[in-house]
Amino acid sequence: MTPLSLPPETAWQPLAAGDWNAEAARHLLRRAGWTAQPAEVARSLQDGLPATLDRLFPAEPDLFPPPALLTHFEAALPSYAQRLRAAAPEERRQLQREERERAQATLVNLTIRWLQFAAQPEHAAYAKWVLFLSDIYVVSFQKVYNPPMIYRHFDILGRNGLGPAPALTKAVSRSPAMILYLDLNQNQAKAPNENFAREMMELFVLGEGQYTEADIKEAARAFTGYRTRPAFDDFHFAAGQHDAGLKTVFGHTGNFTGDEVIDLAYGRPAAGAFLPHELVKFYLSDTMLPAPYLESLGAAWRTEGGYNLRWLAQRFFGSRLFFAPAFRADFIKSPVQYYLGLIQDLGLDVTPIPRFVVNPLRQMGQVLYQPPNVRGWLGGRNWVNSATLAARRSLAEALFTPIDEDTLNADEQIEIVAARTQGHDRFTVTDASLATLAALPPSALVDQLSRTLLAAPPTPAFRAALHDYLAGGGADPASRAHRLRRTIVTLLESPEYQLC
Amino acid sequence: MASNLTTPFLPTTRREFLRQTGRGLGLLAFSRFAPAFLVNSTLASAPAAEKDRSILVIVQLAGGNDGLNTLVPFEDANYYRLRPTLGLAKNTVLPLDATLGLHPSCAALHGLFHDGQLAIVQNVGYPNPNRSHFRSSEIWETASGSNDFATTGWIGRYLDNACAGRPDADAHDPLAVHLNTLNGTPETFLSQRDHPTFGMLAGSGGRKDSEETRRLLEQVAVDAPADDTSEASYLRHTLMDALVTEKKVQSVLSDYRPSANYPVNPFAASLRSVAGLIASGLPTRVYFVTLNGFDTHVNQATQQANLLKTLSDGLAAFQKDLVAHRLADQVTTMTFSEFGRRPSENESHGTDHGTAAPLFVLGAQVKGGLHGTPPSLALARNEDVTYSTDFRSVYATMLERWLDAPSADILGGKFDRLPLFA
Repeated sequence: MTPLSLPPETAWQPLAAGDWNAEAARHLLRRAGWTAQPAEVARSLQDGLPATLDRLFPAEPDLFPPPALLTHFEAALPSYAQRLRAAAPEERRQLQREERERAQATLVNLTIRWLQFAAQPEHAAYAKWVLFLSDIYVVSFQKVYNPPMIYRHFDILGRNGLGPAPALTKAVSRSPAMILYLDLNQNQAKAPNENFAREMMELFVLGEGQYTEADIKEAARAFTGYRTRPAFDDFHFAAGQHDAGLKTVFGHTGNFTGDEVIDLAYGRPAAGAFLPHELVKFYLSDTMLPAPYLESLGAAWRTEGGYNLRWLAQRFFGSRLFFAPAFRADFIKSPVQYYLGLIQDLGLDVTPIPRFVVNPLRQMGQVLYQPPNVRGWLGGRNWVNSATLAARRSLAEALFTPIDEDTLNADEQIEIVAARTQGHDRFTVTDASLATLAALPPSALVDQLSRTLLAAPPTPAFRAALHDYLAGGGADPASRAHRLRRTIVTLLESPEYQLC
Repeated sequence: MASNLTTPFLPTTRREFLRQTGRGLGLLAFSRFAPAFLVNSTLASAPAAEKDRSILVIVQLAGGNDGLNTLVPFEDANYYRLRPTLGLAKNTVLPLDATLGLHPSCAALHGLFHDGQLAIVQNVGYPNPNRSHFRSSEIWETASGSNDFATTGWIGRYLDNACAGRPDADAHDPLAVHLNTLNGTPETFLSQRDHPTFGMLAGSGGRKDSEETRRLLEQVAVDAPADDTSEASYLRHTLMDALVTEKKVQSVLSDYRPSANYPVNPFAASLRSVAGLIASGLPTRVYFVTLNGFDTHVNQATQQANLLKTLSDGLAAFQKDLVAHRLADQVTTMTFSEFGRRPSENESHGTDHGTAAPLFVLGAQVKGGLHGTPPSLALARNEDVTYSTDFRSVYATMLERWLDAPSADILGGKFDRLPLFA
């Protein structure tokens, strides 16, 4: 599935203005964000592609603000550390246990708050971009175990996500979560730990095979002395642990600091093609593009784009290649995109109850802040097997099933009431919310649902079946409403809806 | 209704499969990825159904069942001290021995206890108990330590272990089935490898609803490009596999004639379905059924009485049905709940989240009676009981003694086994 009709030299040129149409806009919105809401499509067509890219990847994107529970947890950290120091051994264990419970609850809350934030159409593209960066600069709560650090790591990605790539890498090298996750805390002059230096080269900047083992050993010395204090969630440089001696990295010799080693890595030509490779994997296709395409974009990013991430995002999503027919509707949505897509497409609010949100994500194979390993999620076709597809289908069903509030646990009822007082009360689809659609005749209805929900049109037999089913509802309003609901559920469970 | 919806499209048997393929009924479109059980059986004779396989039914009491009012220590003055309004009077409980009795709603289970088919494991929990519904359910379902995180469930790991190296490991029929769960596949089933599991879709996906959706979805394979490597084609394949199972399950259940009068409620209906699926000879080894609503912070007495009656009557009907179908020797049922409740009742005539609690194990092969030791109730106000049997000991027993699997590999350590089987 390569658009070989577009040679590598011209593939990344901007899409011709004449090719910017509703279908192209839907493709862009579904890939850069979660769905293609009709209002967003209309606006994008009116604005044109360049202005739309400016809007999706703005100079100053909205950042995800810290949830109250997280702020509260963070504010209590110093006093917790103090109590821990003063405690007798048995009391100490009890304190640590309680702290772990609070950390878990805070992380679950962080997950739900982030989903609520990312579900807003104006936040979708950048929230997804930060998720993309977090799939490169991977950390996991399972090792870090500190929600403020996890939040801060994502905040670092958010604040540096559209600036120069070297600045992002340097900021990440100071991220407390990363320092714990890749053992920088253990990296000292007398006993260097190579974990961070290796992943920096292999997974963040260059890719496998673009460095020698000697480069890693020497680079690791430059990152000695990077420290964090978990109770305070900060970075500090322990000069006494730092190896200030001469290092030779990529053939250059000097008393390099960590930042200088990162600059040396970006000095390698391979750094240009690495991020384009990751972009293709995360946003475009399960089948990797041939190297010349990556090199062509990489070279332009280095020279013209000055390694600026905003430049790269806009060039990638605005290119002729990105809009090529081969890449339309042939990419499997991640669980997060499937979930947030349902929320947007159905006009719902994220249910503030962990087991209605976090459990389905887990069953579909994606727990936020807990990627399987340092390589992040595999993505694409790996998202779907019999169990995860069943989980997707039962999530779609659940969003059409009123929540029986009598059976909720007490803490869940509190969350529901709190959300409701803030005006977030659309947790499941009601017939009233479908009234506009219900007024349409079957044929127009199928067309409209297919257009708004699906990236690829249904096959003729599937379309005919849906049409006949809707028409079979006759004039009885109850029967019509029932069939409308089932039609939408069916579309959301269909193979076509899993694609973007 | 259009004719193409009344014509069965998906095959449920090899004969149908071959006939439809021969007719070129669009099935050619996905014959390349036809369900494994159909393809395998066209290549070789299908493995014979294991008639004597053992089956485990797991019943989740979601919300945290109050153990103290389930298994009542009616001679313990501390019990009545801690439960001034909720305490059940000695003359109302159903006695099991000189000091312990079942909640008055559990008459049917009481009968099974005296028939020797019901074991009650007392005071089951784990070290460093967590009182969050979410987290404690996770600990029980993944069988992890309180401070560890496992990404797979204990039954998921059992399936990983049981299917390793088996030639028919990708056979199509579900190895694990869940019913009536609120939130899709239970964490208990999450596994490293992909196993055929199946869920009766929750909520509005009642039988008629999911039947309608299934019939519509069957059409996605018609007209699909025949030789296609696209993602859409891969998704169609996976979906068709699932639909074949659904259809098979649907037809099994509509043909099933139970030999017991099940109460009319969703929980009993789920158990009736489990009995039907077991009777059909599916290779499914584990079933998971949820009964929800045990989070009784307020006015516990009536709520718990209703829930325990639902549990007790449902399980008794299920057991009677199994006996009548001569399946009782094959099936063991166990309950679990994410935690018990606080021994001291609260100011709202309810109880708050606690720690250990008893669980039930039911079956013809089960060694009935009381197992383990009861908790000490010499507790200050709002203090919790300390567990005496680790829940992973119950799992280890089920794995080793009932499912014939190496528990240490699956549970990540050795746990004492209990004499739950004769």
